[in-house]
Amino acid sequence: MSEVFKDKSQRRGHGARGKEATGRTKDSISTVSYIDELAHHDDNARMAITTENTYQLGPNKRMPVPAVTDILKDVLTSYLQEEKYEVEWSQKMTKTICEVVRARVKELMIPRYKIVVLVHIGQLAGQSMQISSRCLWDAANDTFASFSFKNSSLYGVATVYAVYYE
Amino acid sequence: MEEYNPVDEVAFNADEVNISIKECVEGVIGGTDYNQNKVNQWTASIVEHSLTHLVKQGRPFKYIVNCAIMQKSGAGLHTANSCYWDTTTDGSCTARWENRTMYCVVSVFAVAVTL
Repeated sequence: MSEVFKDKSQRRGHGARGKEATGRTKDSISTVSYIDELAHHDDNARMAITTENTYQLGPNKRMPVPAVTDILKDVLTSYLQEEKYEVEWSQKMTKTICEVVRARVKELMIPRYKIVVLVHIGQLAGQSMQISSRCLWDAANDTFASFSFKNSSLYGVATVYAVYYE
Repeated sequence: MEEYNPVDEVAFNADEVNISIKECVEGVIGGTDYNQNKVNQWTASIVEHSLTHLVKQGRPFKYIVNCAIMQKSGAGLHTANSCYWDTTTDGSCTARWENRTMYCVVSVFAVAVTL
Protein backbone atom coordinates (compact mmCIF):
# COMPACT_ATOMS: atom_id res chain seq x y z
CA MET A 1 0.00 0.00 0.00
CA SER A 2 2.60 2.60 0.95
CA GLU A 3 6.35 2.73 0.86
CA VAL A 4 8.18 2.75 4.14
CA PHE A 5 10.99 5.25 4.41
CA LYS A 6 12.63 4.21 7.65
CA ASP A 7 15.65 6.46 7.21
CA LYS A 8 13.45 9.53 7.12
CA SER A 9 11.91 8.68 10.47
CA GLN A 10 15.32 8.15 12.02
CA ARG A 11 16.56 11.47 10.74
CA ARG A 12 13.71 13.33 12.37
CA GLY A 13 13.75 12.51 16.06
CA HIS A 14 17.05 12.24 17.87
CA GLY A 15 15.55 10.71 20.96
CA ALA A 16 13.26 8.50 18.92
CA ARG A 17 16.13 6.57 17.42
CA GLY A 18 17.33 5.29 20.75
CA LYS A 19 13.80 4.54 21.79
CA GLU A 20 12.96 2.49 18.74
CA ALA A 21 16.07 0.38 19.13
CA THR A 22 15.61 -0.49 22.79
CA GLY A 23 11.93 -0.15 23.55
CA ARG A 24 10.43 -1.83 20.51
CA THR A 25 7.37 -3.87 21.36
CA LYS A 26 6.44 -6.97 19.41
CA ASP A 27 3.68 -5.59 17.25
CA SER A 28 4.05 -1.91 16.69
CA ILE A 29 6.49 0.14 14.69
CA SER A 30 6.52 3.82 13.98
CA THR A 31 7.29 4.37 10.34
CA VAL A 32 7.01 7.20 7.93
CA SER A 33 4.92 6.54 4.89
CA TYR A 34 5.25 8.75 1.87
CA ILE A 35 5.52 12.38 2.91
CA ASP A 36 5.31 15.21 0.51
CA GLU A 37 5.96 18.59 2.04
CA LEU A 38 5.94 21.92 0.30
CA ALA A 39 8.76 22.92 2.59
CA HIS A 40 9.24 26.57 3.32
CA HIS A 41 12.12 26.13 5.73
CA ASP A 42 14.02 29.11 4.37
CA ASP A 43 11.18 31.41 5.43
CA ASN A 44 11.83 30.67 9.10
CA ALA A 45 15.08 32.59 8.86
CA ARG A 46 13.04 35.78 8.95
CA MET A 47 12.57 37.29 12.38
CA ALA A 48 9.13 36.83 13.87
CA ILE A 49 7.02 39.91 13.27
CA THR A 50 5.92 41.79 16.34
CA THR A 51 2.65 43.56 15.81
CA GLU A 52 1.31 46.54 17.66
CA ASN A 53 -1.62 46.33 20.02
CA THR A 54 -4.97 46.64 18.35
CA TYR A 55 -6.84 47.21 21.62
CA GLN A 56 -9.63 45.06 20.21
CA LEU A 57 -11.25 42.63 22.60
CA GLY A 58 -12.40 40.28 19.89
CA PRO A 59 -12.89 39.90 16.16
CA ASN A 60 -15.17 42.33 14.37
CA LYS A 61 -16.45 39.56 12.14
CA ARG A 62 -16.44 35.88 13.06
CA MET A 63 -15.90 32.96 10.70
CA PRO A 64 -19.30 31.98 9.24
CA VAL A 65 -19.55 28.22 9.73
CA PRO A 66 -22.42 27.57 7.27
CA ALA A 67 -20.62 29.43 4.50
CA VAL A 68 -17.45 27.42 5.05
CA THR A 69 -19.40 24.15 5.15
CA ASP A 70 -20.96 25.11 1.82
CA ILE A 71 -17.54 25.73 0.36
CA LEU A 72 -16.37 22.32 1.53
CA LYS A 73 -19.48 20.61 0.17
CA ASP A 74 -19.10 22.37 -3.14
CA VAL A 75 -15.41 21.59 -3.56
CA LEU A 76 -15.63 17.96 -2.48
CA THR A 77 -18.62 17.11 -4.62
CA SER A 78 -17.30 18.85 -7.69
CA TYR A 79 -13.86 17.22 -7.49
CA LEU A 80 -14.87 13.76 -6.32
CA GLN A 81 -18.36 13.09 -7.64
CA GLU A 82 -17.70 10.83 -10.60
CA GLU A 83 -14.20 9.70 -9.74
CA LYS A 84 -12.80 6.29 -8.95
CA TYR A 85 -10.08 5.75 -6.37
CA GLU A 86 -6.58 5.53 -7.83
CA VAL A 87 -3.34 5.92 -5.90
CA GLU A 88 -1.51 8.61 -7.87
CA TRP A 89 -4.62 10.54 -8.67
CA SER A 90 -5.80 10.55 -5.07
CA GLN A 91 -2.46 11.82 -3.84
CA LYS A 92 -2.62 14.78 -6.18
CA MET A 93 -6.29 15.35 -5.59
CA THR A 94 -5.91 15.53 -1.80
CA LYS A 95 -3.36 18.28 -2.17
CA THR A 96 -5.33 20.08 -4.85
CA ILE A 97 -8.51 20.06 -2.79
CA CYS A 98 -6.58 21.41 0.19
CA GLU A 99 -5.25 24.32 -1.81
CA VAL A 100 -8.58 25.07 -3.40
CA VAL A 101 -10.44 25.08 -0.08
CA ARG A 102 -7.80 27.30 1.47
CA ALA A 103 -8.04 29.79 -1.41
CA ARG A 104 -11.81 29.91 -1.22
CA VAL A 105 -11.89 30.41 2.52
CA LYS A 106 -9.36 33.22 2.12
CA GLU A 107 -11.70 34.80 -0.41
CA LEU A 108 -14.25 35.21 2.36
CA MET A 109 -11.88 37.89 3.61
CA ILE A 110 -12.39 37.40 7.32
CA PRO A 111 -9.54 39.44 8.80
CA ARG A 112 -7.19 38.22 11.57
CA TYR A 113 -8.10 34.56 11.17
CA LYS A 114 -5.55 31.83 10.55
CA ILE A 115 -6.80 28.84 8.60
CA VAL A 116 -5.89 25.15 8.81
CA VAL A 117 -7.39 22.80 6.21
CA LEU A 118 -7.22 19.03 6.59
CA VAL A 119 -8.33 16.63 3.84
CA HIS A 120 -8.50 12.82 3.89
CA ILE A 121 -9.32 10.76 0.82
CA GLY A 122 -9.55 7.01 1.15
CA GLN A 123 -10.62 3.93 -0.66
CA LEU A 124 -13.79 2.11 0.33
CA ALA A 125 -12.80 -1.46 1.09
CA GLY A 126 -15.10 -2.49 3.86
CA GLN A 127 -12.70 -1.25 6.52
CA SER A 128 -13.59 0.74 9.54
CA MET A 129 -12.17 4.13 10.36
CA GLN A 130 -12.45 6.79 13.05
CA ILE A 131 -11.28 10.39 12.84
CA SER A 132 -11.47 12.69 15.81
CA SER A 133 -9.90 15.93 16.90
CA ARG A 134 -9.58 18.07 19.96
CA CYS A 135 -8.58 21.70 20.12
CA LEU A 136 -7.17 23.93 22.79
CA TRP A 137 -8.29 27.41 21.81
CA ASP A 138 -10.56 30.27 22.62
CA ALA A 139 -14.03 28.81 22.13
CA ALA A 140 -15.63 32.23 21.76
CA ASN A 141 -13.63 33.22 18.70
CA ASP A 142 -12.27 30.05 17.12
CA THR A 143 -14.30 27.51 15.23
CA PHE A 144 -14.21 24.70 12.71
CA ALA A 145 -16.28 23.31 9.85
CA SER A 146 -16.28 19.84 8.42
CA PHE A 147 -17.86 17.88 5.59
CA SER A 148 -17.65 14.30 4.43
CA PHE A 149 -18.43 12.87 1.03
CA LYS A 150 -18.82 9.33 -0.25
CA ASN A 151 -19.32 7.71 -3.61
CA SER A 152 -19.14 4.10 -4.72
CA SER A 153 -15.36 3.71 -4.60
CA LEU A 154 -13.98 6.41 -2.35
CA TYR A 155 -14.72 8.74 0.52
CA GLY A 156 -13.43 12.20 1.27
CA VAL A 157 -13.42 14.17 4.52
CA ALA A 158 -12.47 17.83 4.70
CA THR A 159 -12.13 19.94 7.85
CA VAL A 160 -11.33 23.62 8.21
CA TYR A 161 -10.17 25.12 11.53
CA ALA A 162 -10.25 28.89 11.92
CA VAL A 163 -8.14 30.37 14.71
CA TYR A 164 -8.34 34.03 15.67
CA TYR A 165 -5.01 35.83 15.81
CA GLU A 166 -4.91 37.90 19.01
CA MET B 1 3.88 47.08 29.56
CA GLU B 2 5.93 44.92 27.19
CA GLU B 3 6.70 41.30 27.97
CA TYR B 4 9.93 39.85 26.67
CA ASN B 5 9.55 36.43 25.06
CA PRO B 6 12.86 34.81 24.06
CA VAL B 7 12.60 33.63 20.46
CA ASP B 8 13.84 30.05 20.94
CA GLU B 9 11.12 29.37 23.46
CA VAL B 10 8.38 30.63 21.22
CA ALA B 11 9.09 28.79 17.95
CA PHE B 12 7.30 25.48 17.47
CA ASN B 13 9.50 22.43 18.04
CA ALA B 14 8.25 19.74 15.67
CA ASP B 15 10.72 17.02 16.62
CA GLU B 16 9.93 17.11 20.29
CA VAL B 17 6.21 17.06 19.60
CA ASN B 18 6.61 14.11 17.21
CA ILE B 19 8.27 12.07 19.93
CA SER B 20 5.71 12.90 22.55
CA ILE B 21 2.80 12.07 20.24
CA LYS B 22 4.25 8.69 19.37
CA GLU B 23 4.59 7.95 23.07
CA CYS B 24 0.96 8.89 23.64
CA VAL B 25 -0.23 6.66 20.82
CA GLU B 26 1.91 3.79 21.99
CA GLY B 27 0.49 4.18 25.46
CA VAL B 28 -3.13 4.06 24.33
CA ILE B 29 -3.19 1.46 21.55
CA GLY B 30 0.26 -0.07 21.99
CA GLY B 31 -0.37 -3.79 22.05
CA THR B 32 -3.98 -3.92 20.91
CA ASP B 33 -5.74 -5.04 17.76
CA TYR B 34 -8.33 -2.99 15.94
CA ASN B 35 -11.62 -3.08 17.82
CA GLN B 36 -14.67 -1.31 16.46
CA ASN B 37 -16.24 -0.85 19.88
CA LYS B 38 -13.23 0.77 21.40
CA VAL B 39 -11.91 2.89 18.58
CA ASN B 40 -14.02 5.85 19.62
CA GLN B 41 -12.50 5.83 23.09
CA TRP B 42 -9.02 5.36 21.65
CA THR B 43 -9.12 8.35 19.36
CA ALA B 44 -10.59 10.49 22.12
CA SER B 45 -7.97 9.48 24.61
CA ILE B 46 -5.03 9.79 22.18
CA VAL B 47 -6.16 13.27 21.34
CA GLU B 48 -6.68 14.25 24.96
CA HIS B 49 -3.37 12.89 26.16
CA SER B 50 -1.49 14.57 23.33
CA LEU B 51 -3.18 17.84 24.10
CA THR B 52 -2.36 17.54 27.80
CA HIS B 53 1.30 16.92 27.03
CA LEU B 54 1.41 19.90 24.75
CA VAL B 55 -0.24 22.14 27.29
CA LYS B 56 2.22 21.07 29.98
CA GLN B 57 5.02 22.60 27.93
CA GLY B 58 3.49 25.94 28.79
CA ARG B 59 4.15 27.56 25.42
CA PRO B 60 1.98 30.40 24.11
CA PHE B 61 0.16 28.39 21.46
CA LYS B 62 -3.34 27.37 20.52
CA TYR B 63 -3.39 23.71 19.49
CA ILE B 64 -5.43 21.60 17.09
CA VAL B 65 -4.88 17.84 17.38
CA ASN B 66 -6.44 15.50 14.84
CA CYS B 67 -6.27 11.71 15.00
CA ALA B 68 -7.37 9.14 12.40
CA ILE B 69 -7.36 5.43 13.11
CA MET B 70 -7.98 3.05 10.23
CA GLN B 71 -8.26 -0.70 10.11
CA LYS B 72 -5.75 -2.41 7.84
CA SER B 73 -7.57 -3.90 4.93
CA GLY B 74 -5.39 -3.12 1.97
CA ALA B 75 -7.33 0.04 1.28
CA GLY B 76 -5.54 3.26 0.51
CA LEU B 77 -5.70 6.49 2.48
CA HIS B 78 -4.35 9.93 1.61
CA THR B 79 -4.24 12.89 3.94
CA ALA B 80 -3.18 16.43 3.15
CA ASN B 81 -3.25 19.73 4.95
CA SER B 82 -2.87 23.32 3.91
CA CYS B 83 -2.47 26.21 6.32
CA TYR B 84 -2.77 29.95 6.09
CA TRP B 85 -0.74 31.34 8.98
CA ASP B 86 2.50 32.98 9.99
CA THR B 87 5.26 30.54 9.07
CA THR B 88 7.80 32.09 11.43
CA THR B 89 5.80 31.39 14.57
CA ASP B 90 3.32 28.64 13.74
CA GLY B 91 4.00 25.02 12.91
CA SER B 92 2.58 21.58 12.47
CA CYS B 93 3.69 18.05 12.92
CA THR B 94 2.24 14.75 11.71
CA ALA B 95 3.03 11.38 13.23
CA ARG B 96 2.22 8.05 11.63
CA TRP B 97 2.08 4.84 13.61
CA GLU B 98 1.03 1.35 12.68
CA ASN B 99 0.78 -2.13 14.04
CA ARG B 100 -0.42 -5.42 12.64
CA THR B 101 -4.09 -4.46 12.37
CA MET B 102 -4.37 -0.71 12.12
CA TYR B 103 -2.87 2.62 11.09
CA CYS B 104 -2.95 5.73 13.22
CA VAL B 105 -2.19 9.21 11.91
CA VAL B 106 -2.01 12.11 14.34
CA SER B 107 -1.60 15.73 13.20
CA VAL B 108 -0.84 18.59 15.54
CA PHE B 109 -1.15 22.22 14.48
CA ALA B 110 0.18 24.95 16.76
CA VAL B 111 -0.89 28.54 16.17
CA ALA B 112 0.99 31.23 18.07
CA VAL B 113 -0.75 33.64 20.37
CA THR B 114 0.80 36.98 21.16
CA LEU B 115 0.62 37.55 24.87
